[in-house]
Amino acid sequence: MKRFIARRLMQGVVLLCMVATIVFFLGRLTGNPVDLMLPEDATPEDRTALIQTLGLDGPILDQFAIFVGNAVHGDLGTSIRMRQPAAEAFFDRLPNTLMLIPWALLLGMMLGIPLGVVAALHRGGWLDRAAGTVAVLGVAMPSFWLGILLIFVFSVELGWLPSSRMGGPDHYVLPVITLGTFLVAGFMRITRSAMLEVMESEFVKLARIKGLSETTVIWKHCLRNALIPVLTLWGVFVGNLITGAIVTETVFAWPGIGRLTYEAVIYRDFPLLQAVIILESILILAINLGVDILYAYVDPRIRLA
Amino acid sequence: MIRPLARAIALAVASFVVAVAPTLAQDQKGTLVFAVESLGAQTLDPILEGRPGNAVYQAAMYDSLVGFDLKKGGVGPGVAERWELSADGMTWTFFIRPGQTFHNGDKLTAHDVKFSLERQMGPGSLAAAAATMRRTIKSIDVVDDLTVKVNTTSPQISLPAGLSRAVAPEGAIMPKNYIEKVGEEEFRKKPIGSGPWKFVRNVPGDRIEFTAVAKHWRGTPSFKDLHVLLVPEESTRVAMVRTGEAAIASIGPETMLSASRAGLEVLAVPGTMQAIFQFYGTWKPEMKDQPIAKARVRQALSLAIDRKQVIEHVMNGKARMPYPFATFVYTDYFSADRWEKWATEAYRYDPALAKKILAEEGYPNGFELKFANTALPGTQFMIDIGTAIADMWTKIGIKVTLKHYEWGSFPPMERGDQAPLIGWGSMYRTAGRPDATWRYNGAFSPDSTQRLLGDKDNCPETCQEFVKTYRALLAELDRTKRTALTDRMVELVNNTWTVVPILEGMGYYAINTKKVGQFDAITGRHELGDVFERIPRPEQKPWKK
Repeated sequence: MKRFIARRLMQGVVLLCMVATIVFFLGRLTGNPVDLMLPEDATPEDRTALIQTLGLDGPILDQFAIFVGNAVHGDLGTSIRMRQPAAEAFFDRLPNTLMLIPWALLLGMMLGIPLGVVAALHRGGWLDRAAGTVAVLGVAMPSFWLGILLIFVFSVELGWLPSSRMGGPDHYVLPVITLGTFLVAGFMRITRSAMLEVMESEFVKLARIKGLSETTVIWKHCLRNALIPVLTLWGVFVGNLITGAIVTETVFAWPGIGRLTYEAVIYRDFPLLQAVIILESILILAINLGVDILYAYVDPRIRLA
Repeated sequence: MIRPLARAIALAVASFVVAVAPTLAQDQKGTLVFAVESLGAQTLDPILEGRPGNAVYQAAMYDSLVGFDLKKGGVGPGVAERWELSADGMTWTFFIRPGQTFHNGDKLTAHDVKFSLERQMGPGSLAAAAATMRRTIKSIDVVDDLTVKVNTTSPQISLPAGLSRAVAPEGAIMPKNYIEKVGEEEFRKKPIGSGPWKFVRNVPGDRIEFTAVAKHWRGTPSFKDLHVLLVPEESTRVAMVRTGEAAIASIGPETMLSASRAGLEVLAVPGTMQAIFQFYGTWKPEMKDQPIAKARVRQALSLAIDRKQVIEHVMNGKARMPYPFATFVYTDYFSADRWEKWATEAYRYDPALAKKILAEEGYPNGFELKFANTALPGTQFMIDIGTAIADMWTKIGIKVTLKHYEWGSFPPMERGDQAPLIGWGSMYRTAGRPDATWRYNGAFSPDSTQRLLGDKDNCPETCQEFVKTYRALLAELDRTKRTALTDRMVELVNNTWTVVPILEGMGYYAINTKKVGQFDAITGRHELGDVFERIPRPEQKPWKK
């Protein structure tokens, strides 16, 4: 198990180095933050001075060397726009996103897993087709459109919920639904296919021959085993939630890391963009590693392999 | 005898202030909530923020050395009541309005003005004009507490405009004693200004909160608190105004109609920008055989644009026919009436004449035109305008290849040899400023970024004439002669048809009339940072139905 974890950690470090390199160079291909900071009548002299002040005047390879040197010491640079350490800006906003993600996950599981079970039990029937429709809608609906639609119906027309921003529990409802809807579809589809596979297996047939009630067979034996692939996807879904938060947080004016990423891209805030993507990558790698370890414990075949 | 009398008067004045101030403060009620698409760098240190952020939220708590003409738009009194230029044109003297204080009670003096300008020019400043200020300002002398002299390296006629928030943020006045006492870091956490709103809280990525001062020369706020919210999505901002979660939200012209139908008041601030199209490198020798190298062809393209249609359908009627490039009704040293008449005629829609000109120039069947469509963040309607005019050009036979560029990727193409843009037309915009010279310099000087008339190695006749006129303008102290030179500069550029205004746009806001009373914005000033203090509560001044 230790070798397994060590190997995954090594893979993670290599992946992070690749991510950092790609983000560094790719970001600089898209423009210069100075162009977005200066008015249209700024003189070349003012532009040059600002570039020097921001430390963007050196050769790009020198800048990369400085970035790598600082990064290995844990310094991911200072945000060009906010003049704040980029990592600090990330960790300031991270709790706001982490307050959304568990609820979206819970919503996805609470609706998606039962729907998947029901669809599997009624394979080919109208309940299966209805659940399939939910799944297609959940995946196909752009979250910005869904978010705006929810705001229009529940805030503007009905006046039941606040339209946006952080606040009390009622402020969470619409962003969580928006963020979690695609998860409902994801959980439903994976649960359905896993259930169908498990329901055909020998041990389920044995359970039925032994005379166990259908409820026990389905909810205890089938579902428990069907949840193993669901658990694997859990890590992927958390990753999706972190990246999906960009749209949800923008629509709902939620000051999380999704919005921070959006702002870093729009303003070409290279240090912030690098920090956000590197730290998000670490977060996703850590979650996936945790899921893998958990998976290895749940399913001994993985451990032995 | 005199001393007891003076003491009695001072006591009476003090009693009056003590009696009146709480009354004024008590009359301030409720929270004014404003939702906006961007808070820029969201920092309360003026040397770290650009123009838009300064104008949206820093303006609420900082005063500027030179302010606004609230009626006409453009430059007017600010922290300085008045200013005058020395006979040799090398020194500006600013006379500070007496009785101003910072939010901690310190008096605002000429020392603060000197300190603030030097801080804007300092090494840690991200101010856009820091380098220009370092080059043009020789020294700053405090004459007395209410008088400060700015000595320049050459005549700088536009200096007061440059220190006015109507143009730039570099005139923001910061508290010298406080910053020196607590240090920059602490100042950034607990900033103090002298404006009508005091800083309360800054929540990154979410909002900035202010509270009103009891009395202020810019206008005493009617609301007790001011919350400026960052809400990037326009639909959400409008929803917030409809539900009453926000009183005012910035919107684009595309949303005006739906906001109005939803029962919201829509405020249009005149003269905030011009949408323009322009051509790159038309003066280059290798371009001489290309159709767009000919001024008459470019004029034909202008004649093919039905500006009234664009105003009606893209801008929902809330825009107007433009003045010449980068000029507005409030432009300084400019014959606005003359040019308004000229623009009405020159910018008319006449597709028949456009086709005739093309035929005369040898293009009866039109030609191929590459056109870069782009828009600054928050001005997505520019893309629609670009698409609309490209469509209008197809009607006179022009085969337009339209390419869309995200704004951040556009400026790099303007630099260097401009290879990706040579021979191209593009959408562009110019912000509403009272001083046209800077914008002309940025577009047409041979050493500017855009170099639309020529560069340092190849400056054709018009380019040289422009340089001559521009330099004469910078040095001209006489108001009448300066106006004549501005008019000449405008005329020169007009005749080239290299940069052509399409329309004069406005700033747009959706307003919940149950949350705020009727107010006017400042002409040419898109942002409301200098307006919040003059916004009444709904019961104080209901909106006219």
